[in-house]
Amino acid sequence: MAYEEIVVKKPLPLIALPCLSVAAFLLFWEWIVVSGTVPSVLLAPPSQVFTVFMDKLGNPNPDGAILAVHAWTSLQEAFIGYSLSLLVGIPLGLAMGWFRIVEGLIRPIFELIRPIPPIAWIPLTVFWFGIGLTGKVFIIWIAGIVPCVINSYVGVRMTQPTLIQMARTYGATDWQIFHQLCIPSALPMVFGALQIALAYCWTNLVGAELLASDTGLGYLITMGGRLGRPDIVVLGMVCVGISGAILGFIIDCVERRLLAGIRR
Amino acid sequence: MGGSSIANETVGVSSGREGITFYQIITNTYLLYTVSLISFFLVWDRVAAWQVFGDSLARPHIVALKLYDLTQIKFAGTNLGGHIWASTQRVLIGFSLASFFAVPLGLFMALNRYANAIVKPIFDLFKPMPPIAWVSISILWFGVGEFSKIFIISIGTFVPCLLNSYNGIRLIEPELYDVIKVLGGSRKDEVVQVSFPASFPAIFAGLQISLSVAWTCLLAAELMNARDGMGFLIKRGMDTHQPSLVLGGMILIALMAWLSSLLISLMERKLCPWKRSIDNL
Amino acid sequence: MNTPSSEPQLKIYCEDINKTFIQKGHMEVPVIRNISLEVEENEFLVVLGPGQCGKSTLLRIIAGLETPDTGYVALDGFPVTGPGPDRGLVFQGYMLFAWNTVMGNVEMGLKLRGVPKQERRAVAHHYIRLVGLEGFENHYPHQLSGGMKQRVGIARAYANSPKVMLLDEPFGQLDAQTRMFMQHETSRIWEHEKRTVIFVTNNIDEALFLADRIVLMEGKLPGRIKKEYIVNLPRPRDHENPDLLELRALITSETELVL
Repeated sequence: MAYEEIVVKKPLPLIALPCLSVAAFLLFWEWIVVSGTVPSVLLAPPSQVFTVFMDKLGNPNPDGAILAVHAWTSLQEAFIGYSLSLLVGIPLGLAMGWFRIVEGLIRPIFELIRPIPPIAWIPLTVFWFGIGLTGKVFIIWIAGIVPCVINSYVGVRMTQPTLIQMARTYGATDWQIFHQLCIPSALPMVFGALQIALAYCWTNLVGAELLASDTGLGYLITMGGRLGRPDIVVLGMVCVGISGAILGFIIDCVERRLLAGIRR
Repeated sequence: MGGSSIANETVGVSSGREGITFYQIITNTYLLYTVSLISFFLVWDRVAAWQVFGDSLARPHIVALKLYDLTQIKFAGTNLGGHIWASTQRVLIGFSLASFFAVPLGLFMALNRYANAIVKPIFDLFKPMPPIAWVSISILWFGVGEFSKIFIISIGTFVPCLLNSYNGIRLIEPELYDVIKVLGGSRKDEVVQVSFPASFPAIFAGLQISLSVAWTCLLAAELMNARDGMGFLIKRGMDTHQPSLVLGGMILIALMAWLSSLLISLMERKLCPWKRSIDNL
Repeated sequence: MNTPSSEPQLKIYCEDINKTFIQKGHMEVPVIRNISLEVEENEFLVVLGPGQCGKSTLLRIIAGLETPDTGYVALDGFPVTGPGPDRGLVFQGYMLFAWNTVMGNVEMGLKLRGVPKQERRAVAHHYIRLVGLEGFENHYPHQLSGGMKQRVGIARAYANSPKVMLLDEPFGQLDAQTRMFMQHETSRIWEHEKRTVIFVTNNIDEALFLADRIVLMEGKLPGRIKKEYIVNLPRPRDHENPDLLELRALITSETELVL
């Protein structure tokens, strides 16, 4: 149809205000430290954080590793733990949604373990696996598996009953219904779990590294705190935030790709 | 999850096969639950007894005994109840403080786009930062006392509270506002009669999420530095290598997290009697 | 004609209304083109047309929820500038307040105007009885069936004692049986408490059963008025009435297959 194209303008304040507000925030942050309102032993201004960032790119002092090593360690742990939780959690949740035996056997244990905050496992993982990679992967796995199981379970449970009955009238077996009907219809819910699980994993990774680690972004934050270096602490926090946002963005793209075929 | 919803029942019914009695017996939910729980504790007990993890896993009855002992004796200045109360108090204060400010702010941001344009970008800067990352800086700022723990809990719970109340209003069917307009109501009536009540379930969902975040943050803060509380018990167990103390602490904190979330659910049921039961799938 | 106040019977007057929507931020979609309409006091006017012909938009313009690009709507000779309690609107999707009981929903309009509790309860109760929902005052909307929900919607609009009732495909989501029943009910309620009604529907039988006058819309966008028919038959009507069937054939011949 030959409709005319026109451009709708947002009111100017709505475009300008967000930029102004971020700029004002950064300036205020810089100002309260530089002017001495907040002592510089407590908070580092953005400019100093940037300087430290440039410095830490190549300088392993004072915490023992350059920034890239910390980031790489964290990403590696996050990636392994996250993948494992998807690999185990999604099939488990799907099976719990369809097979009564699986649900009956797994659900009570799942409900027992679910309310335990994942970082409460830190002491046990330190006892069992030491402070290396395995322990942290275990904690991230525990953290990520919960939303995977719940979403996959609910996804299968929300399959339209009429579709299941339709499949039965065509003579489909239980197994055929499960993997050709229930799993595809649960997919949107399952993909919904990807973001949630990532956020859980990332939070708990930082917690695990704060408490039991010798490299990683969380460790960088702890060391900054121990050494009384607010610039390093803030740098660590900023890095954690940015990497988390980037990971979230990647998962978002993947999710959109995968979901494109099965729009609800 | 949990509860019986319409969708659940129907899928359950159509996935069940009639006929074989044996099959019905072994798929009896209560039987399966019992088998599951017994085998869980049995495996735990055996793994601990056979020392698969050396002496780093305590048998279930040892953990129970340890918890019982703690109710009898003073451990680090107070008995078990004191430790539980110390933690609960922190969560209560931090959680109420954050929700007290975050919920109104979220509602306000959703209702006023200029407020939104100012606050949202700053909020988006902080959003991807896990609350636990604040632990170090809060100790730097406020020392190791009560306040730094409450601060972390507040930071952690602020985000989900705000996001949910914000989205709660954003997702309201716009035609509901038309109803008020047509009935002769003002903008104020729209907010009071539609925005607030309609956002209630979303606010409660936010409170639920915040609460679980609050317990995680509390634990992180107490593991880093505390003289009492359940996190302290776990930390002490870690430092002195007492798996029974660690496991006891884990069980307690899980129990408290579960109880508090139950409390919020009950409150919601009381305050939103109009919410459909299908929602709690 | 251009001075509506000169016609004492004239209730609603629409003068040459045009409306264009902007879709996806940059597409202009003309929805209503050159519609002029007159509705007399206590007339039951049905606007008949298929889905997507701009009839709901016309109703929303009369309700004051949308502003026309050109033209104006006048009520009792005064131009409409926005929504107001003198026009009651019943929505296709019911749009009940899930957090209020049936009573709370019906009395909402009175509450907004500050009518004291005792008084508004009495009025709301009267209309709840009129739509046949006595005994359900304390039920929440999710406990009601579709037909009952729309009765609440109708009672809510009526309780505000508007001069004009606007109904936007009110029975579109009901099954055929309930729909037929609700048509009878609407006819009964209207005869009981006469109002000026503009009723939008895509169902030809519904139009014939209810209308004093039918305005037939063009079958595609932009919406235009195609024809008008006077239905001068006694109420309650019978769907098998030969005069009615004759008119039905006439209207059907004027509409494209999309209907």
